[in-house]
Amino acid sequence: MSEQSWSQLPGVSAETNKFPARSSIAGEGIIVFKTKTGYRGVQRACPHMKATMMAGELTANDTMVRCPLHVFTFRLSDGRGVNCPGFEIKVYEVKEEGGQLYGRSANELSLTPGAR
Amino acid sequence: MNSKRSFVLRGGHVIDDVTGFNRVADVHVEDGKIAFVGSRAVDPATEVINVSGNYVSAGWVDIHVHAYGTLGFSNPDTIGVHQGVTSFVDAGGPGIGVLDQFMDLRDRLETTLYAGAFIRPMGLLGLNFIEGNVRTLGNVPITQWVDFAKQNKDMLRYIKCNAMGDYGPGTLRLTKGLAEILGLPLYMHIGEFQLQNPEHLLAPEAFKIAEAGDMITHLYHGNLGQVIDENGKVLKVVREAQKRGVLFDLGFGGYNFSWDVAEKAFAQGLIPHTISSDLQQFNVVRPVMSLANVMGAMLKLGMSLPDVVARVTSTAAQAISIRDRAGTLEAGKPADITVFKVEDGEFLMLDCYTKTRVANRRVVPILTFKAGKRFEANMTLGQDESNWFLQIAEDHVPSAAQVLSSGQREFLSALVEALGPATWDLSSAERLDIERALELQDLFHATRIKQDLSLHEALEALYACFLDNQFTMQVGLLLVRLEPDFVKSRFREVAGARPLAA
Ligand code: FES
Repeated sequence: MSEQSWSQLPGVSAETNKFPARSSIAGEGIIVFKTKTGYRGVQRACPHMKATMMAGELTANDTMVRCPLHVFTFRLSDGRGVNCPGFEIKVYEVKEEGGQLYGRSANELSLTPGAR
Repeated sequence: MNSKRSFVLRGGHVIDDVTGFNRVADVHVEDGKIAFVGSRAVDPATEVINVSGNYVSAGWVDIHVHAYGTLGFSNPDTIGVHQGVTSFVDAGGPGIGVLDQFMDLRDRLETTLYAGAFIRPMGLLGLNFIEGNVRTLGNVPITQWVDFAKQNKDMLRYIKCNAMGDYGPGTLRLTKGLAEILGLPLYMHIGEFQLQNPEHLLAPEAFKIAEAGDMITHLYHGNLGQVIDENGKVLKVVREAQKRGVLFDLGFGGYNFSWDVAEKAFAQGLIPHTISSDLQQFNVVRPVMSLANVMGAMLKLGMSLPDVVARVTSTAAQAISIRDRAGTLEAGKPADITVFKVEDGEFLMLDCYTKTRVANRRVVPILTFKAGKRFEANMTLGQDESNWFLQIAEDHVPSAAQVLSSGQREFLSALVEALGPATWDLSSAERLDIERALELQDLFHATRIKQDLSLHEALEALYACFLDNQFTMQVGLLLVRLEPDFVKSRFREVAGARPLAA
């Protein structure tokens, strides 16, 4: 697996006191969520009908995010829709270093077998 | 007879347009049937339930829900008898290829479940983008339909299709033809909420094709293909359809109710003939929640309470031809009864487009009786994530698999063997291999017949391999959604496991 490079996420940091928060990677808008185990990013617009994921809710013990508009729900691990087969959301790894947040795409890392 | 099913509901305000009641009266129930409405002597041994301060109506009939399949619920009774609804129709969940599986669900519910069967053999796919794709229609096996309808006349209430997609009105005409052959109404969804080409709008075609007694649902939707024009005026084709006797149904749903459209159309006298919820996995949390909530929205729009009640009782029952057994408190009818109250306050009411209105009344179910059997209302059961969130147990074997019988485990081994090296491509939003899904389903049936296993036990075995919570799903669709190797290894794993205890 090729190591992709991390990029610093503008507009958010570990100091940010309200998550989810807006940021971007390579010109693409993302929403950063703070989960029980760290941070995770997803694309800004829901792949269904483009509702903003700023209003998305973490669910299933913070392993999934669901869109507020029609409850399409996506795994944060690989972005696959769990109740909307065929739909996928872009997900991003997010890490903290020295108070700054860095992100990179996570979809390529998925190796999960099973349903989709 | 069951004496528990004999009682008197005392002091409630009875609303029943068939018998003309709109006043305080007692409802006498004997052996699960309505015996009498009004005052008369009560045997001291008979239970008297005080319902004063509440309303009493016939059990509500929701002609558009999703109970079975990829839009359904783990326990559909949560949107039925637990919320004041005693009969409901699955709007399109099953097609001819899965009506046997559908009946297996029907048989375990307290709420009477009818089928508004879909013309497509698999029923509704819940895969969104492909609903309007004619390729998923597969074959329309007329002989099978006719035979099934003959044997199960009572269960089929209408034939559904979606007036959407880029292939013109052919599907609507085909479905109309099938409905005519079977002597059933046609039930059409209008509103293109996916990504169809606006030039191919099918709602206007639906208005033209529908005849007296046919139904069109999502009257007040705000997507492409509305009942009003850009100036908010009700379309002429809609008026003409209404004059012909076409029935317009509300079908609130997750995409299908707009306050703006509703207010404009209502002001011009275009009123839903029947009030239905379109409850499903995707909208039970919000904005639909319950039929009671939808009834509240109709009060807010300006309908009177007796009018709202009629449209979920007698009128709804009439539209789906079950007035002989539901929709009224007439003596002799099954004691399907809903006790509810109307609360005053300030209630925020959502439509499907993030618009809200503040209502000053809402409808709250208290008790439901199904053929005299009592259920306390519980408006939160349906909202529970485990009830609507269908998840495949990928990383563990569901606990239900541990209690399968040896016959069921043998069936799973036989199924692995029958599958052999078979493989299939995972379906995507755009493309579903419907033929393959049907083949896999045929293999499932052939194997269970060979193993002499009932459909119920075979379904139980299959679901136990993949689902933590008891959901129903079209067998073919479930399999074709999973990776072939994963399916086979899970079957082997469950088949090989020894049961916990005898
Ligand atoms: S826009 Fe997100 S689920 Fe429909």
